[in-house]
Amino acid sequence: MLVSEARLLARNPGVVIWTVILPVAASIVLASIPAIRAPSTSLGGLSYFQIYQPILIFFTMTLLAMQALPDVLTRYREMGVLKRLRTTPVSPALLLFAQLALILSIAIVCMAVMVVVPALVGSDWPRNPVGFVLAYVLGAWAMLGIGLVLASSFHNAKVAAGLGSFLFFVLQFLAGLWLPRPNMPSWLRHISDFTPSGSAVQSLTDASFGHWPSTLHLIVLAVWGVLASRLAVRLFSWE
Amino acid sequence: MSVIEVAGLRKAYGERIVVDDVSFSVEQGEIFGVLGPNGAGKTTMVECIGGLRQRDGGTIHVAGMDPAEEGVAFRNALGIQLQESRLPDKMRVGEALELYASFYPRPHAPDDLLERLGLGEQRDTYFAKLSGGQKQRLSVALALVGNPKVAILDELTTGLDPAARHDVWDLLEELRSTGVTLLLVSHFMEEAERLCDRVIVVDRGRIIAADTPEGLAANVVADQRMSFVPSESFDPAILESLPDVHAVVSSGERVTVTGTDNVASAVIIALHERGISVGRLRVDQPSLDDAFVALTGASDAARRAARPAAR
Repeated sequence: MLVSEARLLARNPGVVIWTVILPVAASIVLASIPAIRAPSTSLGGLSYFQIYQPILIFFTMTLLAMQALPDVLTRYREMGVLKRLRTTPVSPALLLFAQLALILSIAIVCMAVMVVVPALVGSDWPRNPVGFVLAYVLGAWAMLGIGLVLASSFHNAKVAAGLGSFLFFVLQFLAGLWLPRPNMPSWLRHISDFTPSGSAVQSLTDASFGHWPSTLHLIVLAVWGVLASRLAVRLFSWE
Repeated sequence: MSVIEVAGLRKAYGERIVVDDVSFSVEQGEIFGVLGPNGAGKTTMVECIGGLRQRDGGTIHVAGMDPAEEGVAFRNALGIQLQESRLPDKMRVGEALELYASFYPRPHAPDDLLERLGLGEQRDTYFAKLSGGQKQRLSVALALVGNPKVAILDELTTGLDPAARHDVWDLLEELRSTGVTLLLVSHFMEEAERLCDRVIVVDRGRIIAADTPEGLAANVVADQRMSFVPSESFDPAILESLPDVHAVVSSGERVTVTGTDNVASAVIIALHERGISVGRLRVDQPSLDDAFVALTGASDAARRAARPAAR
C-alpha cells in the first residue's frame, strides 16, 4: 500500500513540488544574505533568519498537512476509490497510515534541507537538537492530525482545499509569518500560544537557541495531536 | 446450502422506502440475477448485502456471516464490483490488480485474470487511459482477485461492446464451474437469459417476480408474433376473423401477425386453404425482455390505478 501510494504521488508531483520548493528556496536565499543573518536589536538580539527559519520549516509542514494530505484523500472519496477499497479486507487505517507516512517523510526531508543547507552557508545549527526534534515531531503530529480531520470528513475535494487554504493562512498568521511572534501584541501572542502553529514555531525557535521548548507549548501540541487524530478517526467516512 | 439468505430486508432514505420487505436465497454455485428498471432499488439492495449500507430491517446472511458486522472474514469471502467506482488516474492496470491481490490471503494470480479478461496488453496502461469497457473488465478482475466464495457484480456489462460483453460472459460461465456464487445485477435481459439460473425482478423496491429466466418468460401473457411474406396479396380480414389472431399489420410486402400460442399454425392453414403460401416465415418466442416489460409495465399500471383511489 505504502509503495503503491508513493508511486502515485511520484507520478502526480505537482502539489508537493509547489508546497516544498517555495519555503525551501526561501530559507536558503534568506540564509545566504548576511544582513538577514545578523542579530537585530528590534528582535531582541535575534537575527531575522533565526526568527524565520522555524516559521518556514513550519510553513512547509502546514502546507503539506492542510493541502496535500486532504487533497489526495478527499479526491479518493469523491472518485469512489475509498468505496472500492471498503469492499476488500484492508482497513482504512492502512491507507491513512500510508498517506501520513508519505507526507511526514516529505516534510522531514524538507526540514532537514532547511536546517542543513543554511548551516552550510553560514547560519547556526539548532543548539538544542533533541528539543528541536521533539518540538518538530509534536508539531507535525498536531498539524497532520488537523489535516487528517479535513481529509476524513469532506466529500468534495474543492471544498476541502478551500477550507485547507483558509486554515493555512490563519495558522501561518498565528505562527508569525507576517508578524513575527516577538513583535505581536501580548494578547495576540497568548492566542498564538494555544494554536498548534504558534506553539510549534515557538518551540522550534526556543530549541534553535539552545533552550528547552516550554512545557506549555509541548502540552498544547500534544493535546491538539491527540484530539485531532481521534476526531479524524471518528469522522472517517468511505463515501 | 444457501450461501446468501435475505429475509424481510428493508431500507429507507428518509421517508422514501427504497427496499421493501425483500426476501430470497441463493444456493452455492448459482448465478442469481437481480433484474429491474433503473431506480428500482437493485443497487441499494446489493449494497446492503455487501455490507456497504446499513439496512433498516430484516436479516442478511452471506456465507453464514452478517454483512453489517463487516468482519475481515466477510470481506475475504465476498468480492464486489461496484457500479461507479474508479481507481486513481495514474495507477497502472497491473499495479492495481497486484495491490488488491495483496489484500487477500489466497489471491487469484493477477496475470492469469488479466489474460482471461483480455487486459493482458493493458497491464502497463494508466487507469485514466482505459476505455469504458476496459475499466469495467478491470473492475470485474478486482472483484474476483481475492478468490471470493460470493461475488456481487453490479451492472457489469453496461457500456461494453458486444464482443467484450461476450468475453465477460464466457469468463463468468467458466467461473460457475469453480463453485463461486454470483449475484448479478442487471437491466440487460440477454445477460440474465444466458447466465442466470434464477432471477428476481425488482420494481420500486419490491420483488414482483421470482423464477428461472425461461419460466419467467413463459408465464407472462405475451403475444406470440409471426411475420412472413405471402406469395400474393390477400384481404387482412381473412386473418383478423381467426380466433387466435389479435392483430394484423402489413408493412411493404411483409405481414406481421400477433396472437395466441397457436397463431402460427392457424394463419398458415387459413392461407393455405386459399392457395397462398407463406415465405420467409419468422416466429418470435416471447423473450425475457417481453416478460420484463410486461411485469414492470403491469406494476406501473397498477400504481396508476391505485393513485386516484388513494386521494
